[in-house]
Amino acid sequence: MQQFFIVLCLVLMVVAGGAAVMLRSMLKSTISLGVASALLAAVLFLLGAFWAAIFELSVCSGLITVVFVSAVSLTNSDRKDEEHVKEHRARVAALPAILIFAGASLLFILFSHDFNIVISSTPASFAAFKEALWSLRQSDILGQIIAILAGTFAVIVLFKERDNI
Amino acid sequence: MNIVSAIILTAALLMIIAGMFCLVRTYNLIRIIIAIEIAMKAITLLLVFAGAVNGNMALSQTFVITMIVIEVIVAVVAAGIAISLYHKNGNVDIRELTNLKG
Amino acid sequence: MITFATISFLGLPLLAILLLNVVSKKTGGAISISVGYVVAIIQMIAAVVCMALLWMHGKDFIEFSLFWDMNATLGAAKLSVDLFSLVVLFCIGMVSLASLLTAKKTIGEKTLNYTNLLMVIMLGMNGIAVVTDLFSLYVFLEITGIASFVLIALLNDKRGLEGAFKYLVMSAIASALILGSFALIFTQTGSLVYGDVAKALADWRNAQYAPLLIVGFVMFIAGFSIKAGIAPFHGWLPDAYQSAPASVSVLLGGIVTKMAGVYALIRVLNSVFVAMPMINNTLLILGLISIVFGAVAACGQKDFKRILAYSSISQIGYIILGVASGSLLGFVGAMLHFFNHATFKTTLFVNSAAVEMQTGTTDIDQLGGLQARMPVTAVSSILAFLSMAGIPPLAGFWSKLLIIIAVWQSVSAVGGGIALAASIFTAAYFLILQRKVFFGPLEDHLTEVTEAKGTISLAAVLLSIVTVAFGVLFPVILNFLHLQGIL
Repeated sequence: MQQFFIVLCLVLMVVAGGAAVMLRSMLKSTISLGVASALLAAVLFLLGAFWAAIFELSVCSGLITVVFVSAVSLTNSDRKDEEHVKEHRARVAALPAILIFAGASLLFILFSHDFNIVISSTPASFAAFKEALWSLRQSDILGQIIAILAGTFAVIVLFKERDNI
Repeated sequence: MNIVSAIILTAALLMIIAGMFCLVRTYNLIRIIIAIEIAMKAITLLLVFAGAVNGNMALSQTFVITMIVIEVIVAVVAAGIAISLYHKNGNVDIRELTNLKG
Repeated sequence: MITFATISFLGLPLLAILLLNVVSKKTGGAISISVGYVVAIIQMIAAVVCMALLWMHGKDFIEFSLFWDMNATLGAAKLSVDLFSLVVLFCIGMVSLASLLTAKKTIGEKTLNYTNLLMVIMLGMNGIAVVTDLFSLYVFLEITGIASFVLIALLNDKRGLEGAFKYLVMSAIASALILGSFALIFTQTGSLVYGDVAKALADWRNAQYAPLLIVGFVMFIAGFSIKAGIAPFHGWLPDAYQSAPASVSVLLGGIVTKMAGVYALIRVLNSVFVAMPMINNTLLILGLISIVFGAVAACGQKDFKRILAYSSISQIGYIILGVASGSLLGFVGAMLHFFNHATFKTTLFVNSAAVEMQTGTTDIDQLGGLQARMPVTAVSSILAFLSMAGIPPLAGFWSKLLIIIAVWQSVSAVGGGIALAASIFTAAYFLILQRKVFFGPLEDHLTEVTEAKGTISLAAVLLSIVTVAFGVLFPVILNFLHLQGIL
């Protein structure tokens, strides 16, 4: 049963990802990306990665969607003029065919060879997770701090001082 | 072949293809950033899949969390640059970006 | 002593950021460049001190940690420095100093932002140099990337933003490929610490998930080729270099691409993918394509900085070639060429900054005869170009020679021959650039031009001294290599 839900969420995620490419309205496309993200969070949860799922749901599907929605509204890029819409539609029309072809070929290759990957699917205990994050990954925590600093300076340069020149 | 593993690998490949296809076919700066995000979803899936296969789920989750933090920062910076370009050019069409040639 | 020296690589820039942002914005702006000088100089000193300590204690590497001790924990992502990382840490300090000296004259009002971001990018590059774990490597690669996008867009001009966006997109693709390959490798190994992965991959052909590993290797090579700007993946590099502010071009051309692409690649090849002829051969071919393509393309360019960018593609090809030869001699040659390239390419970017500041353009068709007006810039650029073209006794000659010998010995005479022949093209674009910018009659509108005063000339002079001195002292290194039995 759990396996069925994983497969269902994955299929829906690919559909939502494809929709984010295909949809001509930028706003709908952004929301579609958020939906794909939420479905990915569900998959992570079903695979036993509880904390990663929470992060994916709140940050990727929440925060990033907000960032994109603001970017879309600030750039007014949701142009709906007829020519533009037609052009976008024509340029991405091949995507479903490519996806179906690629997916079918990979599945065929995977099943036609003697190659097996088994998911052990043992959720990590909180103690193990805490140990891994705080004892083993000191350099990543340092990296996160520096990355956040970099992001802060980026926002200062790109937004705060833009109008001064 | 375990059916769930096969579907996970296929889904990851398809998300990467969708992202790369969007990247080369679109003219919209914001949609290019969305394309990158779509590809990153596949990478997140692969990392957790790796943890589920080798049984080291704790480690793979710390990877995913760090990766998400960085992904957000890259998305914010990219959106910031796109918005600044919009202020300079008046649109978000990549065909307008022709100042650099040689 | 040893703890202080190693911790300073990551602690000092953090401290500088803290200092610059707790004081008032005005004071911060006033002292920022000087604080930057101090950080860069201390980093160079610390690198030399660590080298001396390594040599005195006869150790191969020093492990250290920043917040809390990790030596007791099994499987932890430790930090460590060895000779190669110390050489690049020294280069980072040197190029950052040159960039700061250039920025003093060219950056204008933006000193505080510039220095903050320079500290972040130094942290990112130092991190790449000291981590011993593939995932941490990715984290610091991204930090370096984020800081460089913002630095390129620092002045908020059209060109800078455009170059930054192109760089960002290519870099994001590269990161996705790199992290994807790490995820596939992690499926097999269960850990991403260099040593563990190397052990798990020793017999990878018989590994349980060998097909995933092959896909991972392909993604790995593609990802790092984009980051390093190796030729067919170089598209973003000239745009990024050309559009960046002068002092940022110095940084990008001098060290950033080499750290994010070349150093990371070499490090992973040496400590993780040990003895994998498949990967080495691929890189050998990519290196040769890069050498030839970069040199030929540089001949057709019209912009000072673009010529330098294409010449970077070519020179990075030599470094990759040296590593891909798989022998110790090739590795030593690559390491020395890394240092030499950092020196002479930084000199040339400082020169381009001087020309841009004094004449207002980097278009070589509008320049000419600047030799009489800007003697320091002209002489230092000639020295740097001679070193790059491999004219003895300058430093570039020796490192190129070692690489070509290594390729000749351990791979094929054809590869060595192609690399040697491409040096001629280096001389060709050098002559084109020198003739159009510095030699010939002085253009009418340039009669008022004077030499760039102060710190820019200082940077050019210091770097030229390093190039010449390193070349003249090189026989000492050759003798050392001979004693060690490498040459």
